[in-house]
Amino acid sequence: MSPGKELIKGFYTENPVFRLMLGLCPVLATSTSVNNGIGMGAATLFVLVCSNVVISLIRKAIPAKIRIPIFIMIIATFVTIVDLVMAGFFPELHESLGIFISLIVVNCIILGRAEAYASKNNVFYAFIDGLGMGLGFTLSMILISSIREILGNGTWLGLEVFGSGYNPVLLMILSPGAFFTIGLLMSFLSWFEGRRSSCVTNF
Amino acid sequence: MKDVMRFAFILTLTAAVTSGSLAYVNSVTRPRITARQNAEMKEALHYVLQGSEKGIIESVFQNGEIVFYKGYQKPDKRDLIGYAFVASGQGYSSEIQTMVGVNPQGKILRVRILFQQETPGLGTRCEEIRKNESVPWWQRQFQGTDAQSIKVDKDGGAIESITGATITSRAITESIALKTKIVLQKTDQKDN
Repeated sequence: MSPGKELIKGFYTENPVFRLMLGLCPVLATSTSVNNGIGMGAATLFVLVCSNVVISLIRKAIPAKIRIPIFIMIIATFVTIVDLVMAGFFPELHESLGIFISLIVVNCIILGRAEAYASKNNVFYAFIDGLGMGLGFTLSMILISSIREILGNGTWLGLEVFGSGYNPVLLMILSPGAFFTIGLLMSFLSWFEGRRSSCVTNF
Repeated sequence: MKDVMRFAFILTLTAAVTSGSLAYVNSVTRPRITARQNAEMKEALHYVLQGSEKGIIESVFQNGEIVFYKGYQKPDKRDLIGYAFVASGQGYSSEIQTMVGVNPQGKILRVRILFQQETPGLGTRCEEIRKNESVPWWQRQFQGTDAQSIKVDKDGGAIESITGATITSRAITESIALKTKIVLQKTDQKDN
């Protein structure tokens, strides 16, 4: 187990969205524009790192049978703290991110990493894992929301892409567009992965 | 049995620590959040009652709660601009609050959405500001309309609903029409 490997696994081999398929509900709901995608990614990244670190710190004191309610309490506390501090001290940021913050409590990536990783590894690795997974999640969000915003609104980060002649495919911003985009990206990655591994096993 | 007691103790301890830290964070941030909300409210009032910056805005109470505001151009309560009030309606995923300014004849001066948590990319477009503009395009179309009879286009009215967010558009429009009726009735009673 090397820190570098643990950091980059969230980008591809264990990408939370496309490989672990965790936290898909916020992905579907908030990938309508790149701006929202980055916002949700950043907020998730922060909570993921904090909860991973704290849960790893107290992992030996938590009895296995009641670990889930304790994880949830810690995660919900962090999410609420982020929400309150942002609202009080960074009102502009809260204006644009506020709606996503409360969604993070129910994002199963956070609980998933607490359960599968932070409760079994030391603080340093838990931190690296949270960082890698959070960045991987953010990149996936940017990828999905780019496709949806460009096709569904003709813009990228609010900038015109196609010029005024383009008639946006509205469906891509509506909920079915999220399913189409994620489904097609997942099948493409599985196909790619299948080809890659079949080359490797030929040895 | 021993385990049950131990688990209960640990859970209670965790709940106490987490809620304690939340209470502390809340006590630090609450005054700032309230101050910011008040400032936003004041800003919105001056916005919907254009011309009241140099005048005065008077709150009209009923049963200890503010029902609406009256805006004047002069500090000595001369030259009534109109009335302002907060209209709220249940949208798709949140209670949407809109600050509305109407002139004494019931025509909308300006509106500003104060709070909404609608679907990102759909309902939230009610606050979308287009490039090189300073006012959200969707809210601007209310200006000059007759507040008591506004409807969205799908109901035969003139307000263009946001694509994919008819519920949001309808909720805001209907809440404005309804609250205007209530407020104008009250102002009629007062003036007579």
